[in-house]
Amino acid sequence: MADAAISGHDHERPGFFTRWFMSTNHKDIGILYLITAGLVGLVSVAFTVYMRLELMEPGVQYMCAEGARVLSQAAAGECTPDGHLWNVLITGHGVLMMFFVVIPALFGGFGNFFMPLMIGAPDMAFPRLNNLSYWLYVAGTALAFCAVFVDGGAGPGWTFYPPLSWQDAPTSRAVDFAIFAVHVSGASSILGSINIITTFLNMRAPGMSLFKVPLFAWSIFVTAWLLLLSLPVLAGAITMLLTDRNFGTTFFDVAGGGDPLLFQHIFWFFGHPEVYIVVLPAFGVVSHVISTFSRKPVFGYLPMVWALIAIGGLGFVVWAHHMYTTGMTLNQQAYFMVATMVIAVPTGVKIFSWIATMWQGSMTFETPMLFAIGFIFLFTVGGVTGIVLSQAGVDRAYHDTYYVVAHFHYVMSLGAVFGIFAGIYYWIGKMSGRQYPEWAGKLHFWLFFIGANLTFFPQHFLGRQGMPRRYIDYPDAFATWNYVSSIGAFIAFASFLFFLGVVAYTLLAGRKLSEPAYWGEHADTLEWTLPNPPPEHTFEELPTREMWDKQPSH
Amino acid sequence: MPFHIETPQIEKAPEKFGAFAHPDRGAPHMLMRITPHKSLTPEGFVWFVGATAALIALPLFGILGTAVFWALLPFLLAAIWAIWAALKRSWRDKEIAETLTLWPDHIRVERKEPRKETKIWEANPYWVRLTLHKTGGPVPNYLTLRGDKATREIELGAFLTPTERVKLKFALEEALAQARA
Repeated sequence: MADAAISGHDHERPGFFTRWFMSTNHKDIGILYLITAGLVGLVSVAFTVYMRLELMEPGVQYMCAEGARVLSQAAAGECTPDGHLWNVLITGHGVLMMFFVVIPALFGGFGNFFMPLMIGAPDMAFPRLNNLSYWLYVAGTALAFCAVFVDGGAGPGWTFYPPLSWQDAPTSRAVDFAIFAVHVSGASSILGSINIITTFLNMRAPGMSLFKVPLFAWSIFVTAWLLLLSLPVLAGAITMLLTDRNFGTTFFDVAGGGDPLLFQHIFWFFGHPEVYIVVLPAFGVVSHVISTFSRKPVFGYLPMVWALIAIGGLGFVVWAHHMYTTGMTLNQQAYFMVATMVIAVPTGVKIFSWIATMWQGSMTFETPMLFAIGFIFLFTVGGVTGIVLSQAGVDRAYHDTYYVVAHFHYVMSLGAVFGIFAGIYYWIGKMSGRQYPEWAGKLHFWLFFIGANLTFFPQHFLGRQGMPRRYIDYPDAFATWNYVSSIGAFIAFASFLFFLGVVAYTLLAGRKLSEPAYWGEHADTLEWTLPNPPPEHTFEELPTREMWDKQPSH
Repeated sequence: MPFHIETPQIEKAPEKFGAFAHPDRGAPHMLMRITPHKSLTPEGFVWFVGATAALIALPLFGILGTAVFWALLPFLLAAIWAIWAALKRSWRDKEIAETLTLWPDHIRVERKEPRKETKIWEANPYWVRLTLHKTGGPVPNYLTLRGDKATREIELGAFLTPTERVKLKFALEEALAQARA
């Protein structure tokens, strides 16, 4: 029997160390995820700036075997190209971005903070497991940095294809570090997704049936489910890689009767859903932002939910479209081609519904809305080039060219990252209690929008001209657009630094927000009923239906 | 699932409540169970774990008959086991139940919590007073129960929604009045 406690609970607030290092509070852990992902993102973006610096002009000026340069170019004839350094940087960029930046920011950060609030749960189902997930993520990040610096660095690319991933197995431990980094981050994500699935399924407020859950919470749930389904497959695949490298097994080694193609199959069974894992939470964020700033409820809630589920489900049956050139039969190629194109249908449903939400709404263009509209535009561009690439015949020409680089950066770098920024500007007032300066947010948006487009749009041209990806150098014929692309990358990087400044200013000196729903009445999910920032404990008393059921029709 | 009154409020309770009958007091006047809301239904559990198992088995088709199959299988089984165990554990964590049994001359409240000892509170209904604290408690509409001076004050249904606690109070007051009469 719980004894009555009428005096209220004035228990002690935890100290700084307890609060941030031993946290079991979903909101604190969400903030930790966001900050860590931001810092890792800075490193990972710095890699790309260095790569774009190298690609700015034909020839190799910076990544020299004589020693890597940063500030000054090597004089002509004094630089022997260090191709391995290039490989290490693309591997580092890919692994960090995929596993340690975008998923932790959207899924770990926003998912942790807002999914339980939106469904009216007091915390995650397993708070201590949540803490373990976060610290495994930090440990994985440390291992990933080791993979860049130990034994010359790992350079098989983020896909780890054998035999590239063999990379001096007898002498170099770099790839093993990369494999362990992915293992640990995978364990972190699986535990996190189990936590989120359990919370979503079993801790919704009374009366909140599945099809009354806000879209962001739905997108986080579908993402968690995709992680749970795909990461064990990846963990198995890279474990076999590890034993191939170190214990003499031959799962993927032709010399011992293995088959390297099998690795590609199981890798992409993980790798394709991974793409949706990266972008689905951004879909959720964008739905709320569009509805808030159009001052209308989301158009077609039910189709939006089913589109999320359909995209998740279809994501599992299209993996071999990454492998058209590996000698599959015609029937296999035809199947994967058609299945891939079918994904355009649920994606189209979402784009259509967002536009219909804006249609005849009283739209205003605050920073989150700019990022959300930017997301829709850029994601659609990336989706259209995706349809081009999905055709097995056309893919013969485009495979491993810069066209592919442009495509997946439009979907992920521009798509998912715009989603992250939309979420940060939308919720930073809720999370910190302080509002960002609007002019600064808008300046960041325009700088980033112009910079990112300038970086990646010309890469379509380079791909069509036939420039292959993953090389440190290129012939003079590709010089023009590479130069433009590098300028764009520098602008985008400058905008990112500016963004970090905006966040720092907001947290230290931003205008205080007292209104709980400071974006107006169409920000109507449960987190907007709470003060800014929300108290340590939320929804220990269950929310009532009137608090969240604003559109009883669906 | 807020609270259930399982005894029809008639003079003689049906046979099935014999288990709760006190040796001296006979069948109770009222039996009420208060449990927290669980949003996952057993059907939902089957659907979710079933769909997960079906989809995660998909990559196995491509590698049937190879050594890779057997190396991958344990990872997939571990994932299915993990989500199975987590959902079951979450159900178990919510197996909090407050059982209130009322006889004309005795009231007994039992609180069962997972991994904790069952707590029991007993009093004479004549002295029992219900108080609804609109504010000031840990939750809005905090409901407390006080017996005679010797017993401690306890809370009831703190895990319900505020409106449910108001309904609970009225239901309980009515039952107490009938029991005393």
